[in-house]
Amino acid sequence: MGLENWFKEVEARAREGLNKPSLYGVDIDVKPFLEVREGRPILDESRVKEVGVDLGAKAIYTQIDQAYFKYLSRIPGVEVMRIEDFLESKPDEAKEYVWKLVDPGKDKYTAVAALKGRGGYFIRVKKNTKVEEPIMACLFMSIGGLQAPHNVVIVEKGAEATVYTGCTIAPEVIGLHVGISEFYVEENAVLRFVMVHSWNRVSHVRPRTAVFVKSGGKYISYYVNLSRVKTLQTYPVVYLNDNAYTYLASIVLGVEDSDIDVGNAVYLEGENSVAEIVSRSISRDSTRIVARASIVAKNGRGHIDCRGLMLSDRAVIKTIPELQALTPNAILTHEASIGRLAEDEINYLISKGFTKEEAIAILLRGFVSVEVKGLPQKVREYIETIEKLTVEKSM
Amino acid sequence: MEMLKVDNVAVSVGEKVVLKNVSISVDRNEVLFLLGPNGAGKSTLLRALVGFPGYNVVSGKIYFEGEDITGVPMETRVAKGLAIAHQIPPKLLGVRVRQLLEALCRRNKCDVHEIANDLGILHLLDREFGKGFSGGELKRVEIATLLAQKPKLALIDEPDSGVDVDSIEIIAKAIKKVIEVSPYRSAIIVTHSALISRYIEPTKVCILMSGTVKICNGKELIEEVFRYGFRELV
Repeated sequence: MGLENWFKEVEARAREGLNKPSLYGVDIDVKPFLEVREGRPILDESRVKEVGVDLGAKAIYTQIDQAYFKYLSRIPGVEVMRIEDFLESKPDEAKEYVWKLVDPGKDKYTAVAALKGRGGYFIRVKKNTKVEEPIMACLFMSIGGLQAPHNVVIVEKGAEATVYTGCTIAPEVIGLHVGISEFYVEENAVLRFVMVHSWNRVSHVRPRTAVFVKSGGKYISYYVNLSRVKTLQTYPVVYLNDNAYTYLASIVLGVEDSDIDVGNAVYLEGENSVAEIVSRSISRDSTRIVARASIVAKNGRGHIDCRGLMLSDRAVIKTIPELQALTPNAILTHEASIGRLAEDEINYLISKGFTKEEAIAILLRGFVSVEVKGLPQKVREYIETIEKLTVEKSM
Repeated sequence: MEMLKVDNVAVSVGEKVVLKNVSISVDRNEVLFLLGPNGAGKSTLLRALVGFPGYNVVSGKIYFEGEDITGVPMETRVAKGLAIAHQIPPKLLGVRVRQLLEALCRRNKCDVHEIANDLGILHLLDREFGKGFSGGELKRVEIATLLAQKPKLALIDEPDSGVDVDSIEIIAKAIKKVIEVSPYRSAIIVTHSALISRYIEPTKVCILMSGTVKICNGKELIEEVFRYGFRELV
């Protein structure tokens, strides 16, 4: 089947999904977001900076709304282009990767992305290419409506790279962001994916992500939501082959009346594969957060660590860790806890000479600091900045 | 003038009065050992002195450098130069030892590497504070925070309990350093086994039992405790 026919099938499946609500999260009416908005797309660099995107990066993809696209790569062995350009230039290859891991008919959000989405990045890291500095992506919404980019990342055999995506929106702009991401990590390759979200109080966000990791590959994901959002729901799925590894960390800050439902699912399909899911939820004001985590295993080992921190009497956090062993060869564990900052810990730090505010900041920083192993120094610095910002916004 | 004076103090924790009629004092160049059996109220006294919330002075007065600090919050007492080394510090999720020591050293102008080296905790700097530490490691890290605080008067709670001999020796050296760098060269050390006395010589020893100070005397009191035990002695 050629690309054209494949896309006919994608469209048909998407139409079937148009009225399907998502399995999780708040159901919203997508129709108001499909109307074309008037306005000139403008990049707000201060907002982009807040989510950590370096617009001067050597490899970067920038998209504003569904109207402006810019990309370049000055890193040898790294290809960056708009998804439409990939489809046009390499149709035979594209049909093997686009809409192959995410079902366009899964729900109304994947459906609108398939039918109305524009842009998104295609990134390929060529065989055995090892890249220390992050490949940046900036997805910005300036006039609102729908932004539904389709991202495909291929990290070929033995290659290693970090993709850093910052997604944000102009204040008070009403928007629906549905980012479709399909990542392919080939044999013994490593993909580190950092995604930082900072939305506004009227935005709705529904990313749909799936990752396939071949034998000996590693996929490390670090996701942060550090600002207000009306509703946010995402549930990335990772499939692991033999000896593959994944570490999935989600740091979710809920403020004001945000409704957030985030999680990760991993399928350990090969032998000796290992998965770790770590989530840290901080609930302020009257936020409602659901933190999901699921590991389904035929073999290998999996661990879930879910913690919630309540910073308000009106907030709600619910954690749902799920483990499913399909054979006796799977070893799965989880730990979960929800509570407030311990008075004893605050007082301990005050007894060491910190003010109460400083003590709380230290404990919050500790809460959001998860140990992501094997990160290049540059990426670690980005994450440290994001951690500090998360603490500031939690206080 | 006494640097610290505890005058007829009673302390309650919750509804329960744990200490009553406690009077002790610490002068310049004085290392006071506070001995007593488990549950005597030694830790309660140290926590009340530093103003730890929940440890309420219901009568009597505490003076530090001649100033009445009885109703002063812990934050202010610590700023004035009191510091406590806790018997069992809490685990701090995600907080690295290095991070805490760096924050203290930024304020008090000290060298994290030097302190960590002194206490043999270089290997713990990037670990989560308290997570998976042995008894000795926990104590050494706690004393490291005390060293980084550079207090005028250190209140040290059970530095010798639950630790191996090697750790006690390292801890004792560090405590000596804390005392050396303090302007008054004084400290209060709480111990129920008095093992630390093999490495640090007290100038004064008080015995606390059943919530009150029974006797204070010179360092020879330790020998008597070892010989007769607390109950026989008082």
